[in-house]
Amino acid sequence: MGGVAISVEGLRKSFGEKEAVAGIDLAIAAGSFAGLVGPNGAGKTTSLSMMTGLLRPDLGRIRINGVDVWADPAAAKALIGVVPAEARLFERLSGEELLEYAGRLRGIPAAEARQRAAQLLDVLDLVPDAKRLVADYSTGMRKKVALGSALIHNPSVLFLDEPLEGVDPVSADVIRRLLTRFVGSGSTVLFSSHVMELVEQVCDHVSIIDKGRIVAGGTIDEVRGGRSLHQAFIDLVGSRANDGEGLSWLGSSSD
Amino acid sequence: MVGLLVRLKLRLLRNALKSSRQARVSFILSTVVAGIVAIGVFASLAALRDQDAAVELTTVTFTTFAFGWLILPLLVFGLDGTLDPSTLALYPLRTRPLAIGLIAASASGAWPLANVLGLLGVLIGLARGGLGLLFAVVAVVLQVLFCIVLARFVTTSLAGLLRSRRGKDLAALLILPIFALYEAFVQVVPRMTAEGKLTAKSFGGIDAWMRWTPPGLAAHAIHDASTGHPLTGLLRLLLLAAIIVLLGALWIRELAHALVTVDTTTQAASVNSTALPFANRGLVGTIAARSWVYQRREPGAKIFWGLIVIIVVASSASTLRTPAYMGGLIGAAGFAAAFIGIFNGDAIGQAGPAFGFDAVALHGRKPLRAYFAGMNVAMALIAVPLFAVLLFVMAAVAKHPSAGFLALAVNLAGIGAGMALGDIFSVILPYPVEKRPGSPTPKAVEGYRLQVLGATFGSLIGTAILAAPVIVAVVLTGHVSAVVRMPALLIAGAAYGLVLATIGVRLAARLAEDRIPELTEIALRSKL
Repeated sequence: MGGVAISVEGLRKSFGEKEAVAGIDLAIAAGSFAGLVGPNGAGKTTSLSMMTGLLRPDLGRIRINGVDVWADPAAAKALIGVVPAEARLFERLSGEELLEYAGRLRGIPAAEARQRAAQLLDVLDLVPDAKRLVADYSTGMRKKVALGSALIHNPSVLFLDEPLEGVDPVSADVIRRLLTRFVGSGSTVLFSSHVMELVEQVCDHVSIIDKGRIVAGGTIDEVRGGRSLHQAFIDLVGSRANDGEGLSWLGSSSD
Repeated sequence: MVGLLVRLKLRLLRNALKSSRQARVSFILSTVVAGIVAIGVFASLAALRDQDAAVELTTVTFTTFAFGWLILPLLVFGLDGTLDPSTLALYPLRTRPLAIGLIAASASGAWPLANVLGLLGVLIGLARGGLGLLFAVVAVVLQVLFCIVLARFVTTSLAGLLRSRRGKDLAALLILPIFALYEAFVQVVPRMTAEGKLTAKSFGGIDAWMRWTPPGLAAHAIHDASTGHPLTGLLRLLLLAAIIVLLGALWIRELAHALVTVDTTTQAASVNSTALPFANRGLVGTIAARSWVYQRREPGAKIFWGLIVIIVVASSASTLRTPAYMGGLIGAAGFAAAFIGIFNGDAIGQAGPAFGFDAVALHGRKPLRAYFAGMNVAMALIAVPLFAVLLFVMAAVAKHPSAGFLALAVNLAGIGAGMALGDIFSVILPYPVEKRPGSPTPKAVEGYRLQVLGATFGSLIGTAILAAPVIVAVVLTGHVSAVVRMPALLIAGAAYGLVLATIGVRLAARLAEDRIPELTEIALRSKL
């Protein structure tokens, strides 16, 4: 591992009265597979949007491999790949065309972009559907083609927002293996999720975010402290469970 | 079941009313229009009393309504939750009571009521005597029942297709013939009527075959009963009832089939393409390639070009065979160009969340210039040949084919102006759009009315002002030899348009440079 790939200092963002991100500090080492976990509405997507130059922060500084995202957005964007939670894709392109377009958008010559697109389609198990419109893709296929689009220019740092949300186990395995291979080559992945088992399996570093603040961060072992990550998360964020005492009628024995 | 489904329909209408101010306004407006249509149709049918062609015109009116019932549910599929059998497939319902319930649900609401009330104008216009009145009431009820069963049969048969992306695309394109008909009624019919080319007798020939269609059977049954042929009228009504029963049986069969049929909407066909075009044209070529593919595959783009052609033809057709033909041609050239700006004055909002795909890669003035230039290239590839053909055809109709060159010179300048204004308004007045059930093209999200008006009138007025020098040149060079005048004006118009488009691209890129996050936020709020 080298230096710090993602550095975030004092990141803040409010929407009107609501403070979505209330001062985040992060330092993710290059070559890390890092997870940003938190309950719904904790500020994960807002934080990732600011880190990827798509949402202007109120305060704070973000650097990717030393490049300040908001001082030199063009240079920073050249270093990163982004897979948003709700894939923002050109629905009327086929999977094959979308990957070629993503490559050419990043300045890769057309022939090279086509070649990389074909290889990515193969690895992502999308060859049979390469000529179908993205509009007709299933959730798993959309996630996979979005991942391919984010990887085609070989970024140093990859941001993923809920990459396996709604994805079938087979597609999830394809995505997981590709990401592991990507990190193995020295690149960095930061992904948000609320699936603790996944984070526990693949990440070497995790930050737990709640109400716009990082409430714990470090290696997986440091954060879980002898418990499961799931339990550590519940302990840190607080259980919001309602045991459903009002549902006395529910269940087979309630007749 | 009948009560339940009628209540469901009314609840859906009531909830739509509560969902937003826009929905409330639309509902009230729709109800008011339904009332006006009911009164208008009633008055029109009643006014046919004692007219020679009363039964023919009644037949045409009944058929028009049946056509409306056939087409509109295809456009508003998704608006009425009771139209799609898949929404009811999970419930333990028997087909026959479900079918009756769905018919009752269809008959609920302002428009079905307006339909019945409007058609009851035949009580005054066509019916004579007690028997005639009785036949008129029965005929109207059967006519409306026929319309409902026909609409249900068609939507149920096509439900699988209409849920699919391809079906929705096809249904969206239905707006073009409807809009063409509307323009014909608003622009062509009044003119032909005024010129005496369209009279009540014009419908005589149509009635010869229309009398055997279900709407024709209903109208002629009233006429028969009112003119002393009640038995013939009765036979017509019985035949109509038999058709309704047959159609109903077919619909019930389709319904039973649709309730247990797998949803195949994700099993779509492949597209025929090997690679994106403009491979060696850098970032401009990349954006142009994507925009070009979208112009071919996005129904919204086809609707846009179709609407321009219809509007331009309908608005200028009346002047083509008059001494003012040149004004009509130049007006058509300018109008067509202005619509480029109007329809593309929100390119980023219209791109929707997919703009985020570009935004994570693009930043800085130069890439943004390529972004706007690429979109303009794709648009020009369609606009220039399409408008050229349109203007030359119109010039040929005017019997002054060479005037097409002059109109094209104005048009080329106007296309440049329209593109420039579209690019600039896309940055300074962006607004999110959303697809609403019943509307084939995306509309502005509530709260952005000013941006829409600004971009629309800005493009219209701006194109007129920017194209004015070429119009003036056309007017002032009338004395110059055509051999010199035509090519000189064409080259000047094209060059001027190119300069305008380039200025627009540069200005838009400069304005967008520091606004990518704000533009992305607007684009992400679009729901397409």
